[in-house]
Amino acid sequence: MVETLSGDGEKEYIQMVKETAEAMWGPEAADTFGEHIERTAAAVYAVSNYPLEPGVEPVTRFRPGET
Amino acid sequence: MEPYRLSLAEASRMIWRGTITPTRLAESLLDRVERLEPVVEAWVTVDREAVLEAADAATMEAEEGRFRSPLHGVPYGVKDIFYTRGLRTTMGSTLYSSHVPDRDAAVVKALRDAGAVVLGKTETTEFALHDPAPTRNPWNIGHTPGGSSSGSAAAVSCGMAPMALGSQTGGSVVRPASYCGVVGFKPTYGLLSRDGVYPLSWSLDHVGYMTRTVEDAALTLSTLKPDAAPAVESEDSPRVGLLSGYFKENASDDVWLGYEQAVGKLWGEGAEFIDVELPPSFGMAPSVHRVIMAVEAAAVHEDGMRANPEGFREYIKGFVSSGLLAPATAYLRAQRIRGVILRDVLSSMDGFDCLACPSTVDTAPRGLGWTGSPAFNAPWSLTGLPTVTVPSGISEDELPLGLQLVGRPHRDHDLLEVAAWCEEALGFMEGPVDPYTP
Repeated sequence: MVETLSGDGEKEYIQMVKETAEAMWGPEAADTFGEHIERTAAAVYAVSNYPLEPGVEPVTRFRPGET
Repeated sequence: MEPYRLSLAEASRMIWRGTITPTRLAESLLDRVERLEPVVEAWVTVDREAVLEAADAATMEAEEGRFRSPLHGVPYGVKDIFYTRGLRTTMGSTLYSSHVPDRDAAVVKALRDAGAVVLGKTETTEFALHDPAPTRNPWNIGHTPGGSSSGSAAAVSCGMAPMALGSQTGGSVVRPASYCGVVGFKPTYGLLSRDGVYPLSWSLDHVGYMTRTVEDAALTLSTLKPDAAPAVESEDSPRVGLLSGYFKENASDDVWLGYEQAVGKLWGEGAEFIDVELPPSFGMAPSVHRVIMAVEAAAVHEDGMRANPEGFREYIKGFVSSGLLAPATAYLRAQRIRGVILRDVLSSMDGFDCLACPSTVDTAPRGLGWTGSPAFNAPWSLTGLPTVTVPSGISEDELPLGLQLVGRPHRDHDLLEVAAWCEEALGFMEGPVDPYTP
């Protein structure tokens, strides 16, 4: 888990993504898309903090019976 | 009996015996469409002339004793993201309102070669995401039929088609099928070709379909994929892993009660249910699914949205924008965790014929602005495991409930065998419904 200034990494990460959205598309669009941006950013945060061994490879060509 | 009431298998048997012609069947279905469409709005395009022409050709072949497959002469619906040669394919988007493909999607071609007749194109949410179609739920037209395969589910439910193709990235086959009280089958990822199906998220998109019986679902699979592994013959009642945890926490009271009642009934008929603990990694499924789908949808639509931002509705714009902001490392990490979840889920299936859980979080939501939550289906789209929903009862508000069964990869016919056993034991389906206006 990444240590952050406030101690709430998820909140800080979502805020950072929202600021990026605002810089890219302007405040109005960032606000309109706000819920989507928050939900995806929260998912990204969760995924990024899930511990994995280096040997676990990405499923790049998904074959359920062979994974 | 009016021909539109026939199941796919019944129609097939009658065509082969010569007791009904494909033309008569098509006429009955077209009349049903004409009568109900103003209320249900399940179709984007129906070309009556072309349908009758194809049905007449199938009739002539049948009269000469030439049957291309068990589906010879049987009309079916096609979700409007599947390419159909010479027939408008809109993707539920104004950008494609005049788009006429010059080729068929692979599954449409397979069905055409099998002698089946394209009845028309069914309504979909925009680009098979969430911005809703106008379609209404035949069980109560004040409620959504679910999405994104909205028109396919509604059309099969009220007897406008015995089968309709759909697709599922999150819950777009199983959820609308359950909301509309029909069988919805999502095969193992990749079993049915996605070629010629407009993508939403390449590594999550599945081709599936709706029917009114499990027998029809098995017949369709045998036609589309003759080399799919056959079911292992067994005289035993099924042994089913019973899921709760995540599903119990998120299900509405109505849905959970219906699930317990369905399980009780199946237990009484001899099925063996054993509680199964979901692996801890399963808890990551919603986040992993979200990251993969948002990033892949962003990659699919990035160019189009940049060129034509006004051509996209609000939900898809926001969803795609959120995907554009996700780091590449998060996407790869999500695909790594996906493999872990699949491995762990397969371990928990050891010793069972399949797993069971409710098909949906709730019954079909009121209104047409929201097609419902895919939360009980997305984990199975993520793992690529085959799933089927079987109608299992009626809620207090008179809407259908579904039992979702989850099988092993590439054991699709085994899953359908269990589903057929459950369907018979539950004894729910009676035939197409007439649209109910409260």
